[in-house]
Amino acid sequence: MPNLFDLPFDDDDPDSKTPHEPRPAPQPPDRRIFTVSELTASVRELLESTYGDVWIDGELSNFKRWRTGHLYFTLKDAGAQLKGVMFRSAARSLRFTPEDGLRVIARGRLGVYEPKGEYQIVCEQLEPHGVGARQLAFEQLKRRLEAEGLFEPSRKRALPALPRKIGIVTSLDGAALRDIVNVLRRRYPNAHLLIRPSQVQGEGAANDIARAVTQVTAAPGVDVVIVGRGGGSIEDLWAFNEEVVARAIATSAVPVISAVGHETDFTIADFVADLRAPTPSAAAELVVTRKDEYRQRIDRLHERLTAAARIGIRGWQTRVRVLEQRPGLAGWPVRLALRGRRAAELSHALADRVRALIGAGERRYHQLRLRLESRDLRRTLATIAARLTVSEGGLTAVMAGRSHARRESLGVLAGRLETLSPLAVLGRGYAICWNADRTTIVSKADAVAPGEAVRITLHRGELSCTVTTATAPPPPKP
Amino acid sequence: MTSKIKDFESALTELETTVKTLEAGDLALDKSLALFERGVELSRFCHQRLEEAERRIEVLTERGELRDAPDSLQAAGDRDEP
Repeated sequence: MPNLFDLPFDDDDPDSKTPHEPRPAPQPPDRRIFTVSELTASVRELLESTYGDVWIDGELSNFKRWRTGHLYFTLKDAGAQLKGVMFRSAARSLRFTPEDGLRVIARGRLGVYEPKGEYQIVCEQLEPHGVGARQLAFEQLKRRLEAEGLFEPSRKRALPALPRKIGIVTSLDGAALRDIVNVLRRRYPNAHLLIRPSQVQGEGAANDIARAVTQVTAAPGVDVVIVGRGGGSIEDLWAFNEEVVARAIATSAVPVISAVGHETDFTIADFVADLRAPTPSAAAELVVTRKDEYRQRIDRLHERLTAAARIGIRGWQTRVRVLEQRPGLAGWPVRLALRGRRAAELSHALADRVRALIGAGERRYHQLRLRLESRDLRRTLATIAARLTVSEGGLTAVMAGRSHARRESLGVLAGRLETLSPLAVLGRGYAICWNADRTTIVSKADAVAPGEAVRITLHRGELSCTVTTATAPPPPKP
Repeated sequence: MTSKIKDFESALTELETTVKTLEAGDLALDKSLALFERGVELSRFCHQRLEEAERRIEVLTERGELRDAPDSLQAAGDRDEP
């Protein structure tokens, strides 16, 4: 519909006030009347077909990210404004975070929203003006992670003194892996390496690296991990600037050495890693230089140990030699010899003396024995017998006296016994009832039957009786 | 004197102390001999630990399986270094 281009709409914005360019109202060639819808539809068709793919330079304002993921904003410059939208599908590939005031280059198509009579740019791409989108994204992510404290020196862990197993995350075919293996093999031939191959550039590389880092840092025995790739363009290295990689490194359980590209390229991974190596080879050297250092240190210590021990022992040897030279000690061998001779002499003297003592003892024994045998034993016996007779007389008298006294006290005791006898009770009128042949005492009425004979012992004399009645007491209450 | 050696790093620290004590001198002869023996034991332990790691290259797959590295890698470092 080229005729629409002839309308003032095209080159003379009806909204803009341009008083300095007044123009006489043109005379329409023919009087065609549109409905609002018809005109809007025409405008829409015109705009959408003409501006299906445009680039716009403008400043972002009123930027809003909706919960649906769509982005809404206004692009403006000094003289005009243009509403814009970026749908979620396109917004996902944004490499930076849009914000108000940012000058951007937007690419998209114009769209008309008929119900409101509004047009807007539907963005497919959005890039910061000037700096590249990547650069801006880098700066933004760096700022954010730094604010989180992920770059703090206090978070950096020391490498293990002696790595038991070294984890490596890089491409299996890259030069980086070859470099690392070469260096390790040369300087640490018995190194144990665990390689987790990973895509290191292109679509999906960041996620792959992140997974690999997580996996290998958690592998049993791994106590240090090198993650990296050889040098390349900033595009090639980009995966190491992605947040997901940074997070994987930051949450690693073991120290991570980043080794990306060459000297000058710093990536986000470098900032987060516990140690940054400029190249993969350098990373390998950082791991094993420590082994070399340790070996030297131990060797030096061993030398010092031996030297110190040698000096110590030499000191003692010298002291011993000095003491040996002293006159006191020097005279000792002679003195010892003299003493030895003296000891031998004394020993002989001692033996002689002992022998003499034994001889004397034997002589004394014989003398004593002779004296013992010469004594008259019979006289001694007579004297003893006489003494025995005298003693015997005394003993008899004593015994007689004692016997009399005993008898008297016996009478007293019998009298006392008498008063305690049951027979004495009979004197007071009690009687004892016996059965007929006087063998058993009758103590119960039912032990005898009427007509049976019983005998009764009185104080003086005895009665023979016949039982007429036997009355038993009532049975005891239970 | 011969207590157990915990790990490489503590062994190294103890070795250093032992050497310093020995170098300071002023020790009884038997004490210094005991220190020397301990020092030799420690340095031998450290050396052993330095050399004991196993020479091996493995590859960890995405599924967490272990494989041997390609031969080209296994051979790397063996030939081209002086």
